[in-house]
Amino acid sequence: MRRRIPQLICGLFGLVVFLCYFSSHPTARSIYLTVTLDYWQIIFAFTLIVGAISFVRVNLRGIERGEDRSYRIASLVGVITMPLLALIWGLKGGSPFMWVFENIQVPMQSTVFALLAFFVASASYRGFRARSMQAAILLGAALLMLIARSTIGDMLWARIPEAAEWVRTTPAMSARRAILIGIGLGSLTTSVRVLIGIERTWLGGEK
Amino acid sequence: MRLESRHWVFLGLFLVILLSMLLQIDLGVKVSQDTQRMHDYIENLPPGSVLMLSFDHEASSLPEIRPLALAVLRHAFANGHKLIGVALLAEGTGIGYRLMEQVGKEYGKVYGEDYAFLGFKPQYIAAMLSMGESIRQTFPEDYLGRPYDDLPMLAGITNYEQVDGVISIADGSLTTHWVEYAGNQYGVRVSAAVAAAMVTTYDPYLASGQMHAMIGGLRGAAEYEQLIHRGGSGLRGMLAQTAAHVYVILMIIAGNVVYFLNRKKGRKR
Amino acid sequence: MDIGTIVAGILTLAILTFLYRDNPIYKMAESILIGVAIGYILVITWTNSLMALLFKPLFGAGEGWLLVPLLLGLMMFGRLFKKTSLLSRIPIGVLIGSGAGVAIPAMLEARTLRQLSATVSPVIADGSLDISMLVILVGVLSTLIYFYFSREQVGWWGKTAKLGTYFLMIFFGTTFGYTVMSRMSTFIGRMEFLLTDFLRIIN
Repeated sequence: MRRRIPQLICGLFGLVVFLCYFSSHPTARSIYLTVTLDYWQIIFAFTLIVGAISFVRVNLRGIERGEDRSYRIASLVGVITMPLLALIWGLKGGSPFMWVFENIQVPMQSTVFALLAFFVASASYRGFRARSMQAAILLGAALLMLIARSTIGDMLWARIPEAAEWVRTTPAMSARRAILIGIGLGSLTTSVRVLIGIERTWLGGEK
Repeated sequence: MRLESRHWVFLGLFLVILLSMLLQIDLGVKVSQDTQRMHDYIENLPPGSVLMLSFDHEASSLPEIRPLALAVLRHAFANGHKLIGVALLAEGTGIGYRLMEQVGKEYGKVYGEDYAFLGFKPQYIAAMLSMGESIRQTFPEDYLGRPYDDLPMLAGITNYEQVDGVISIADGSLTTHWVEYAGNQYGVRVSAAVAAAMVTTYDPYLASGQMHAMIGGLRGAAEYEQLIHRGGSGLRGMLAQTAAHVYVILMIIAGNVVYFLNRKKGRKR
Repeated sequence: MDIGTIVAGILTLAILTFLYRDNPIYKMAESILIGVAIGYILVITWTNSLMALLFKPLFGAGEGWLLVPLLLGLMMFGRLFKKTSLLSRIPIGVLIGSGAGVAIPAMLEARTLRQLSATVSPVIADGSLDISMLVILVGVLSTLIYFYFSREQVGWWGKTAKLGTYFLMIFFGTTFGYTVMSRMSTFIGRMEFLLTDFLRIIN
């Protein structure tokens, strides 16, 4: 029963939205809207809150055990401060909530991401070697794009950006298309397996 | 303080970008077909067309996404289009709201009459699908909690049928879902302004006609800024971008030279 | 200079210290970032989603049927405790089921059939060979053959699969080039902030 009921619910919801896809009848559209908006959306919002609570719990336990106490406290202060700021002053532009978002979160988050520029440069030096025919092709394509999408491509020869455009939109695109078709067929099969109850990994290991 | 080889590579990149930015030279760029197509699309829409801008990105990619978003917003506002902003990733919410507010002010646009920002819904596929049925029910209130019906520009807009196009401003795979769910199921025209790293991911949709137009990366932003005759971070950053590319090319060449020399030495032994 | 720019500048530099090595300054900045980011998501989800879609219509407009999704949402909290964790299988079942239901037509039509149909466009148009279309056709077929693992890749089949790997390498190389561009743009953006707003070295 512990598996059967969730499986039945899963199959039922899946079948209903799948069938609604083929109908333009107002009832079908209304059911479709209800499922996507009032069930899917609301449950998903709760999952985010569960994640946040779980984060707080893990950190509180860590503080109790004395592991990385100062870092964990800093994280918890952040989690608590944002809702408080929003509750007192709202979300408008110029509010303390937006101030923290714009002057603390955005700069730090984008700088963490910007660090990747350095690791990409380092990887280019250490790992990007023409060891085989395939690696040489990969390297050649990468070099062509790097030249073409900077202004040196325009300056050197007008045909370089054109050649790069062709490589991107023709041979490279064809490989990406094949990957897309493969993923499409795989996702399709998995979805059908989920609906008919063959795919049960989402239920977890317990019986 | 002990420096390893990677630190020297880091330092080199830092100096190359720093010096090229200090030079403050705006390099002109050759406009690509993709950017021209996006520009022509917005340019040729009749004034007053309704465009939905979906801020489908995180704060991490803002330095790259911001110039793209600003260029598209400026062009759309300058052409008198009505803009509906939504966000399907949480961090895009605050960013989208502030960018629309900023560019709206630049062009003297009135909130609620010329543009509106409806805010965030966490499950993006569900949001795209439910907007196809009813935008009003998906977003009963805007970002700040004002009821949908209190915003005059939204009167008469019930679903994608009244929206002339969606432009997904994205740093990840959300544009795929716009194409595959909203575009495929409801026939809304989907275009994209994306981080450069995602351009090759979306090429098949552009080639198959499922996506209408796409601009990508800082270079795409620079090209767009040139087309709308409004300089910005894109054009300003082109020299640094070029210098960084040359640096990476040199790193690749140096790495291969070292590799082949070592291999030769190994064979001799 | 306003205080926001000073704070943003100092925190940006704190994150950049990671380039030397992991250190307490970076760790502290990272911890603050994680906390603030989670707090931000909580607020936005609560105000823009749960208040607008659930609590206001349920308690304000009396739409009682919303008690069902509320109950399903609350079941998710079961995951927090071992004894009640099985309860969360029901709302997860709703998410997985509806996700699979909407995915079937999208994956079949938008991802597979539309892409296949774009591939099988005429290779000879107006009496002349369209080389690009031919390359696309060969590229898609050979890459698909490479990913078909149910048959041993030997003989002509293996050679075609190998050709597919060349197409894949072109794609990966192209993507690498664009990714470098992306990462550099992000750092250039941060440098622009540091040099203009924070240090005011350039205009």
